[in-house]
Amino acid sequence: MSTIIELGDVKKHYMLGTTKVEALRGVSFQITKGEFTAIAGPSGSGKSTILNMVGCIDNPTSGRVIIGGDDVSALSDKRLTKYRRSTISFIFQSFNLIPVLNVYENIELPLLLEKGMNEAERKAHVMQLIEEVGLVDRMKNKPSELSGGQRQRVAIARALVTRPLVVLADEPTANLDSVTGAKILELMEDLNRRQGTTFLFSTHDHTIMDKARRVISIHDGMIAGDNVKSVGEAV
Amino acid sequence: MRDLFKPAAIRIAMRSILRRKTRMLLIGSLVTIGTFLIVFGGTFASSAQSESKKAIVSYFTGDLELYSNRSREIPSPFSFNTPLPVVEDSRKIETWLDSNPDVESFVSIGQNYGLISTVKDGAKIDLPILFYAVDTARYQKTFDNLKVTTGQYFGSEGSPSSQGVLLSEMQKKAYRDKYGVTLEPGQKVTLLSLTGGGSVNAVPSQILGYFEPKHYSNVFNYINFMDMRTYSSLFNFTGIATGSLPATMDDAFAATSDDAIFGLADTAAFDKLDVASLAKEELTGSTQIAIKLKDSGRAEAFLKDVEAQGFQVKSIPWNKASSFFASVADILQAVIYGATFLIFLIVVFILMNTLIINILERTGEIGTLRAIGADKSFVSAIFLWESILLNLFAAVVGISLSLLLIASFGSGGVQLPDIVAQYLVGGGPLNLVISPVPFLTGVGLVLVVSFLATLYPIRVAVDISPLKAMSGV
Ligand SMILES: Nc1ncnc2c1ncn2[C@@H]1O[C@H](COP(=O)(O)OP(=O)(O)O)[C@@H](O)[C@H]1O
Ligand SMILES: [Mg+2]
Repeated sequence: MSTIIELGDVKKHYMLGTTKVEALRGVSFQITKGEFTAIAGPSGSGKSTILNMVGCIDNPTSGRVIIGGDDVSALSDKRLTKYRRSTISFIFQSFNLIPVLNVYENIELPLLLEKGMNEAERKAHVMQLIEEVGLVDRMKNKPSELSGGQRQRVAIARALVTRPLVVLADEPTANLDSVTGAKILELMEDLNRRQGTTFLFSTHDHTIMDKARRVISIHDGMIAGDNVKSVGEAV
Repeated sequence: MRDLFKPAAIRIAMRSILRRKTRMLLIGSLVTIGTFLIVFGGTFASSAQSESKKAIVSYFTGDLELYSNRSREIPSPFSFNTPLPVVEDSRKIETWLDSNPDVESFVSIGQNYGLISTVKDGAKIDLPILFYAVDTARYQKTFDNLKVTTGQYFGSEGSPSSQGVLLSEMQKKAYRDKYGVTLEPGQKVTLLSLTGGGSVNAVPSQILGYFEPKHYSNVFNYINFMDMRTYSSLFNFTGIATGSLPATMDDAFAATSDDAIFGLADTAAFDKLDVASLAKEELTGSTQIAIKLKDSGRAEAFLKDVEAQGFQVKSIPWNKASSFFASVADILQAVIYGATFLIFLIVVFILMNTLIINILERTGEIGTLRAIGADKSFVSAIFLWESILLNLFAAVVGISLSLLLIASFGSGGVQLPDIVAQYLVGGGPLNLVISPVPFLTGVGLVLVVSFLATLYPIRVAVDISPLKAMSGV
């Protein structure tokens, strides 16, 4: 299997006033295509920081971040934006839908940022995703008219619409009740199995962690464990 | 601005405006107020200026005035104590003006002062009088500014002109209050001249009646009128045309003082004087000639023509001849623009603040757009469109309101406080004249300023990091 993401001795420091906060203290791991991997750890351990590096929305203080073979650790904002647009997708803890756009338009938006698909193609593709996440009857609704679970489904569809190399999800179930959260994770897992989309998500919830096929444990900005479950071990 | 015309940006912009109705209404009404102020204020100011000029030219000075080139002062209705020197070749000038195609009408004016001698309770009493001595028919034709309240204007049209003095109602009141004298129309009086040389000349005359000025009563309440013939005999202007005198004697005559004239007898030039060559001419004694042109825009060309004639005159345009009156509209305009500018500054300040609050509230949304791959130009396109659409709409509303207000004044004009109206347009309402300049500058300025007010907030917006998406929308 091919490596699509590689972190090599990634360090990230923040300055809080004059105090140096070491959020990541040398993190290295690789993700191969088709993985369904959790980054687990207590709050403040550095999970979000890792996802932000992989997601090209933050630069590391030192170390390599390689995505699809390219080192993105020192790219300009413009180049990073291009990666975010075409190579990587995000699912956020608090859904982050555009409030003035309806379900269809929110899912379609990433395609409108990049030329490529013609209108008919685009429409068919968006409709197919809306069906996948089960929101056909909610297509014209605004985010404010949806439940939390429905919103996260829209966010998942939006993340998949550009057919990204990897989908990053930072605690995607943290703002949902446990039943809904479990369903969202099932949807992600289902999409991973059927479409082969690579998922990398963070969580501090053990029931969610259990669904991952690989769990990278983070503690105090360092990797404390990396367990790949054998086939059948995951639910 | 690669993303400016991305439909997604325009869609988000339009919906965002509609979503924040209250705030957008606030911003919109600020821009509307700004537009209204500039457009209405500009129309008011430019109307004040054009109407002020029109009124001054029509009732006060004409397009320009000619006056003696020996004068060290300029003609002013407020300087009676030092009468200007007489325009020597006024007859020649008048003849030239009569046949000049640029001239609509003109009138020669002798601005001077004297005394009205009459009798009160059996004793003689002298009343001071400031006056314009005019060719009465020409004055009426040129300025038509006197409304006769009692008595008559120097004879009715067609009948031979009456000679005498026409007093202002204000003068009547002043004589009554100060001297206890009321002069009746038809009353015989003696006019006394006071010349620089100290001699006094007396001519019998009469009071013709009283007038009220139709315009600029703050000027013409204090000026009385006299026909040119009475004036000429009062100041001994009848006689020889100085233009036909040998040059050396010309200056001596110009002094118009008796001593100087007697002194002439001693000069060599006087001995050689060929009396037969002297043109017999009735002098007018006019100190200035007010001229109205058919086309005010021709004033400069006309002045060149005057210069080419070599007349013994200088010229002064309407705005200088009317003393400070022409600057009243300028001052008003400056005040309007100053006030508008200040209010506009405040509007821009509030506008910028509201836009920044608007953007800060949408930090999560902007961060999300950036996180899912929107370029900075896409974010700035959204906010530019929000600004453009809102400001255009608000500007259109502002213009419509201004138009409505201007239309509501209609042909009646704006009723100003009399004191303002007197100085601005010589009294009466100010007609608002719609001209494209204040509209175009108004709209242009509002759009430019509101665009500039958007630049900084947009910079704030595009600098929002995609990391901000993590804190949610
Ligand atoms: N922008 C920041 N400035 C300062 N410190 C930060 C910043 N972001 C994260 N940190 C710190 O870095 C550490 C890791 O944070 P984070 O990656 O958010 O942890 P997690 O997502 O696992 O809760 C924490 O100690 C946090 O306080
Ligand atoms: Mg986190």
